[in-house]
Amino acid sequence: MNKSWLIKLLILSALVAVQVLPTLKAQPEIKLDKFWVVLAPAVARSTAGYGVIKNEGNQEDTLIGIQSNSATIMLHKTEIKSGMARMIHSPHMTIKSHSELVLEPMSFHLMLTDLDMTTLFEGAEIILQFKFEKSGDIDIAVPVREILY
Amino acid sequence: MLKPMLLGIFIFLNTLNIASAFDESLPILSGVGGEFTAVDADGNTIESTNFKGSVIILAFGYTNCADVCPFTLGYLKRLYAGLSSDEQKKTRIVFVTIDPKYDNPDHLKKFIGHYNKDFIGLSGSQEQIDYIVSLYHAEYNSLATLGVPTQNIRRVNPKLFADSQEAKDDKATLFSHTITLYLLDKQGNTRSLEYTGTPVEQFVGKIRALIHE
Ligand SMILES: [Cu+2]
Repeated sequence: MNKSWLIKLLILSALVAVQVLPTLKAQPEIKLDKFWVVLAPAVARSTAGYGVIKNEGNQEDTLIGIQSNSATIMLHKTEIKSGMARMIHSPHMTIKSHSELVLEPMSFHLMLTDLDMTTLFEGAEIILQFKFEKSGDIDIAVPVREILY
Repeated sequence: MLKPMLLGIFIFLNTLNIASAFDESLPILSGVGGEFTAVDADGNTIESTNFKGSVIILAFGYTNCADVCPFTLGYLKRLYAGLSSDEQKKTRIVFVTIDPKYDNPDHLKKFIGHYNKDFIGLSGSQEQIDYIVSLYHAEYNSLATLGVPTQNIRRVNPKLFADSQEAKDDKATLFSHTITLYLLDKQGNTRSLEYTGTPVEQFVGKIRALIHE
């Protein structure tokens, strides 16, 4: 009686483990929030994009690239040192678990070059594809608008 | 007893006010700035002394700048909008390119006109630009000379339908540069150094003080 009860309990706990463990497994959970692209003057050769990359999961993930049909895109960081601004290219950016990377003017930003201006007008939406090491490709539609800061 | 004292203080403050048409809180920053020659949006040579009588906000930048310069021009647009139309007439927003090889007067005019048609873009020869930069103790560097290979910066993730010919013709250079906004009085003296973090209302107040000097 005692023995079979123990076996039942073991089987049950094994079943529970099979059910529960995958959800406890460490994995990143990327959310791309409030992204937008600055409407560039018609003669501009480059522009910027801003937003927040959130990782709500319990494992870090690394942004390895961003693609779009509207531009070549890189993650840059503007650094201000003694009144001078310079840009630094961050090709691989790791977003730790339960943290976020804020992209805003004078800081991290998406740098868009080789612009296809036919797609970058006020009120337009362009598709950005973020490539993460673990989460894979994430596509988002991003509005193009005048800089309002 | 109290009334005559208050009256005294009032009169004293008033004489102070009359005595200082010159705003003491905005001292002349001697050694910063000076007279220079540049090329305006229509390709004409222009002397900085032409701006005398107007309060000037002077900024350095270049049009291939994606993050800092559009943000700065957006800020200047808000700043300018914070002035009355009468005050706007007495104020000039001047954007000096540090990339005159790429930013010819016409290109600069179209770029800056996107933000406000009143804004003045100044270009010129490399020597003219370098002289203005030195007058204001400003600085700029092309990123290539800082040891960052520009070519690699620009083409990490090729556009999905990239036109390779277009890419070859693309000779934009990226620069680092001074982001200070120089506030000049009606005589062309530098009176304050600001940046895009200055609250707009506060900056507007300083412009107003200089207009009324
Ligand atoms: Cu950039």
